[in-house]
Formats: sequence, structure tokens, C-alpha cells
Amino acid sequence: MPQTHAPRTDGARDLGRASRDTAAELRAATAARLRGAHRAGVRRARLVVCVLVLMLLGLLAASLLLGGVKRIPAGDVLPAAFGLRTGLADYVIFRIRMPRALAALLAGALFGLSGALYQRLIRNPLATPDIVGISAGAGAGATTMLLFAPAVPFGTSLAGLGGAFALVATVLALSGRGGGVDTYRLVLVGIGLSAVCTAYVNYLFTVAGQHGIAQVMRWLVGSVNDATWEGVSTLAGALAVCGLCAALLGRSLGGMALGDQLALGLGTRVGAVRIATLLVGAAAAALATSVTGPIGFVSLISGPIAIRLVGADRSVALAVPIGAVIVLGADVLAQHGPVISPVPTGVLTALLGAPYFVWLILRRRQGAPA
Amino acid sequence: MKQSASPAAPPTPTPARPRAPRAAVVVVLAGLMLAAVTIASIGLGARDISPLEIVRILLHPGAEGYNGDVLWTERIPRTLLGLTVGAALGASGLIMQALTMNPLAEPGVLGVEQGAAVFVVLGILFLDTSGVHGYFWMALTGSAVTAVLVFLIGTRTNAGSSTIGLVLAGVAVAAVMSSLITLLVVRDEAVYAHLRFWSVGQLTGRGQFLGQVLPFALTGLLLALPLGRTLNLLSLGDETARGLGIRVERARLASAAVAVLLCAAATAAVGPVAFVGLVAAHTARMLVGADHRWSLPLSMVCGAVLLVGADTAGRLVIDHGEIQVSVMTALLGTPFFVWLARRRDLVRM
Repeated sequence: MPQTHAPRTDGARDLGRASRDTAAELRAATAARLRGAHRAGVRRARLVVCVLVLMLLGLLAASLLLGGVKRIPAGDVLPAAFGLRTGLADYVIFRIRMPRALAALLAGALFGLSGALYQRLIRNPLATPDIVGISAGAGAGATTMLLFAPAVPFGTSLAGLGGAFALVATVLALSGRGGGVDTYRLVLVGIGLSAVCTAYVNYLFTVAGQHGIAQVMRWLVGSVNDATWEGVSTLAGALAVCGLCAALLGRSLGGMALGDQLALGLGTRVGAVRIATLLVGAAAAALATSVTGPIGFVSLISGPIAIRLVGADRSVALAVPIGAVIVLGADVLAQHGPVISPVPTGVLTALLGAPYFVWLILRRRQGAPA
Repeated sequence: MKQSASPAAPPTPTPARPRAPRAAVVVVLAGLMLAAVTIASIGLGARDISPLEIVRILLHPGAEGYNGDVLWTERIPRTLLGLTVGAALGASGLIMQALTMNPLAEPGVLGVEQGAAVFVVLGILFLDTSGVHGYFWMALTGSAVTAVLVFLIGTRTNAGSSTIGLVLAGVAVAAVMSSLITLLVVRDEAVYAHLRFWSVGQLTGRGQFLGQVLPFALTGLLLALPLGRTLNLLSLGDETARGLGIRVERARLASAAVAVLLCAAATAAVGPVAFVGLVAAHTARMLVGADHRWSLPLSMVCGAVLLVGADTAGRLVIDHGEIQVSVMTALLGTPFFVWLARRRDLVRM
């Protein structure tokens, strides 16, 4: 209530008019406040997006400019990034640094998207694709393809997708019980199944030949070291398709945040939306994993940060640039950070993300919405 | 698994001892299984050696010949190491479950083995540690630090129940630990490859460590055997146990120390092997019930049978090579873990 009126003493008529006035005032004030709140929300979201875009541009510049080879003049970097130079600049910038930076950015965006989708759907901040085991399933599929049929075009991505979908189906089938899916059972079953996938990848590591070991190592730690333009195009396509699907699902997901019954009443096809969201989230995580390996904890961190910055309604959209900033930032740090560099990107995200995970399980109250 | 007496029930100091005929059956069965996996592990492998020749080699230890070398220097030490490590993991798993009253507790699941592994890697890199003897002390420190850390985090979570909180804490700590390992060794490809092989737990080529690890493992196992009564009393709950004259904190600490010692000895010898303790402890309890005086020794036997059986199976499933025992135990243990996670009483324990 914005204001309260003192009761009037001069007659019933005045009182009636006054209360009519009061009601109108109240309505107007509430509407203004809501509009104001909405506008403030939009302003805040815009501000946050602007800051994130600036951070991304800064990190992108850092990723392109920093490096061991000092002979490339800064003026050549921008043209070289678009393939307009030849020789050393072309090789270093266009073949190595640019795909690497873009792969980190796009993979981060996909991890952020998939994590936020799962967190919003399952309404538990722990239910992200890497905790539930989807990244491990995708890694197992992709590694198999890479070792045994490396020549198939986009084979690793497709195998990663297959592995991820198989894992989602298994986890759901095993964690469902008498209709409902219990969130914590989902997480526990996911932990168990990802142990199998990790053991399998470990096994592949020990049987892989000298060439294969480098490839498998990527799936053990997650890195964008050997990113190529083919990988970047896979990621870009994945982000476009998954982002579009997520945008289409957005309104229904907002409705489902009110609870299944209410969402059904509002005309949302709850079952179909749930399956679609699970598949889109799994596809985003799987395609990112198939290019970079499992870069852990990004999908876990992005969603809650987005919620804290702009609230739950816009969190899925905002988790995309946040994930991108996290992975690109972690990659710049992993390559050029003092003392520790160079390390695989996934090592850094795990070292930063796991303490956050601990903090999350320490402070979350059970049943609180994501 | 919490099978303590409910408050309304008459306070029995210890759960009923299994009926004698059943106990006899279980003892005979356990002995037979142990003998079977031992024979299989010695008799089966990449190189076919006929049973008759094996008997001949065993009867004449000094005899020359390649087959004799294979048996005496590889298969027999490896089998004995597997039995020891399996028993250690089985006992460690059962004690951890009893102490935390958590059916999912286990040195691998709780990340204690990964913690041990990190300290072993630290020792190799910075203290020039080598040999299982040196590994052991590092692994012991790492296990203890990690166990305390996981326990502190796990008991303070709001994640539904302490069962799940502990598992989530273990997963988070294990993730940090394994990325620490990578961070420490990633710059040297050769060291990295070597340590990756170590951090995939396996028995291959570890037979010569038997002599080094045996003192620690045997100490742990001997210390564990008399713990059955203490664990029985602790499982009745703190109040009851205190009423029955037990110093709860000291008993807890002593039991946890034994569990950590066993886990450290096993990890120092073969690297992290998950799920053996989990499966062994549950199998033992299914066979003889909740009385820890029975289930603790049986859990050791189950662990030994499981580890040696998995190792032997890993040698046979593929030609020209073998699957590491930790991969085999993950394949066997995960269905079990998932089955436990699906139980109705678990999630809201």
C-alpha cells in the first residue's frame, strides 16, 4: 500500500466519494508502481547485458592479443581475426586464437543455457547437466566416436548428442517412481551413471594409442586447446537452434514455474514442454561437450548468478552471456594467468565452481525454487 | 542402513546374533567364494597355463621356466594384493556407513580416495616420495583431511537429508581434488600420463608393492575386527550408547581413524577404486543382518571377493589387454548404487 487515508468525519457521501477516489488512486498508484518495477527491471536487465557484452569484448580482445608470439602488431590483429591477413598473423590469429576464443565463448553460452533451463524446469539449482551426468554421457559418446571413427564429419557431435540423450532417458527412467520424479533421486542416479561414463572414458584413456591420448585427455578435463573452425560452426549452429527453442519454450516455462496444476489450467501442455526442455537442455550441453569436453560447473554457476542479477523471469536468457563470460574468462586466465598457466580450462572452472557448489548445498533450503 | 531399535522397542544392547545354522552356511559360502576367486585369479589370465602345470609350479617354488615366473612374480602377488586391498575397502565402507548411518557412504563416493590421491601426487611432485611406503603416509594425511572436510560440509547441508548432503559434499570435494591433480601435473605430459594411469585404480604391475602395503593394511584390518561391538552400540544412537557406558566421541573418532587408515592403505597401493566398499558392506548386511560383529568380517571377505573377482574378469573380457579393476568395479557397483538411490526410504531418510 503506498498510502493510507485518515477516516473522514464529514458525512457518508463524502466518505463514499473519498473511498472511490482512494480506490482509483490506489489502482493508479499500483499500476504505476508495477510499470515502474517493470521498467526498472528492464533497465537493470539492459544494464547487466551491456556490462556483460563489454566484458565479453574485453575478454575477446585479451584472448586475441595475449600470447607467446610477440611479432604480430596489434594493428594486424583485427584484420587477421577476419582472415584478411596472410602469413604468421593469419596462422596465429585466424587459425588458432580466434577459433579458440569463439569456441570458449559459444560453449560457455551453451553450458549456461542448458544449466539455466534445467534449473528452471526441475526447480533445483543442483539439477544441472553436469551433475545429472549428461555431460559425462556426451563425453563417453564423443570419445568413442573420436577414437574409433574419427573421419566421420560431425561424428563426435552426433555421438555426443546420442550419448547425452541416452543418459537423459536412463536417468529419468531410473529416477522416476510412481509418477513424480524426485529431484534428489535424479541427482543421485545422475552421480552414479556419470561414474560409469567416467570409468569408461578412463578405460579408453588407458587403451588409446599415443595420438588418441591427447584426444581423450580433452574429455577428462575439458579444454578449448584444439578448437577448430569446424567446432566453432557446430557450436554456433547449436546455440542458434537451442537458443531459438529455449525462447519458444520460455513462456511455457514461466507458466510452469507457478506449479503444474496452474500451468495446466492456463493451457500449457506440461508433459510436452517438460520433455522438450529436457531435450533442448541436453542437446545444448552435449554439443558444447562434444567440442570442448566437460567444462565443469559452468552450467551450475550461470543460472543462480543470472537470478541474482535480474530475477528468475529473465534468468534463462541472461545465463547465456554469463556462461560465455565465465568460460572465456576462465580460458584467458588458464592460458595467461600468473603462476598457474597454462592449464586446461575445465580445471579452472572446477576449482572456482566446486566451492560455489559447496556454498550452494550449505545455504539452500530444501524446496526453495531455483 | 539404519537398523537401530526404535525408541519404543525394548533396549537390546546389540541386535540379535544370526541363528547358528545360517551363520555356518554364510561362513562356508564366504570361504568357498574366497577360494574360488583366488584360484581363478591365479589360474586365469592372458597367458594360458594349464591347471596341472600350475599345481606343479606351486609345489616346486624354485622351479625354472617362464610360466613359473609369471605365477610367482605377477599373478600370486597380485592376487594377494587384491585380497588385502579388497578386504580393506570392504571394512572401510562398512565402518563409514555405520558411523554416518548413511547407506551411500563409501571411501570412493565420499571423495576420500581422491583426497588421498591428491596428497600422493603432491608427495611425488614436491617431496620426491616414491614407493608405497611413502605413498601411504601421504595418502593417510590426504584421507584424513578429506574425510574431515567432507564430513563437516556434509553434515551442514540443507540438501533434503544428511544422506544426500554427504554424497553431494563428496562429489564436490572429489571434483576439486581431481582438478587439483590435473592442475599439479598437467604441464609435464609424461608425468601426467603416468599419474593418470595411477589415478585409474588398477592392480596391474602392483604385485611388488604387496610387501610394502601389507603391514599397514593388516594393522588396519586387525584394528577393525574388534570394532563390531562399538559400532553396534553407536548405531543405537548417541543417547542410548552413552547410557550403556560408551564414550561416544572417542569411539566415533577411533572407528573413523581405522576407516581412514584402511582407505589410505588401499589407495596408496592401487589408486582410487570406487564402489567396492559400498557393495561389500551391503552384501554383508544382507547375508547376516545388522550385527556388526558378523557383518564387519564378512564385509572384508566380500570386498576381497569382489575386487579379485572384478580384476580377474577384467583380464578375461578382452583379448590382448585388460580392463582396470576400478572400471570393472564401477560397472558392477553403479547398478547397485542406483538401486540404493531408488529405494523409497533413502531420499527422505
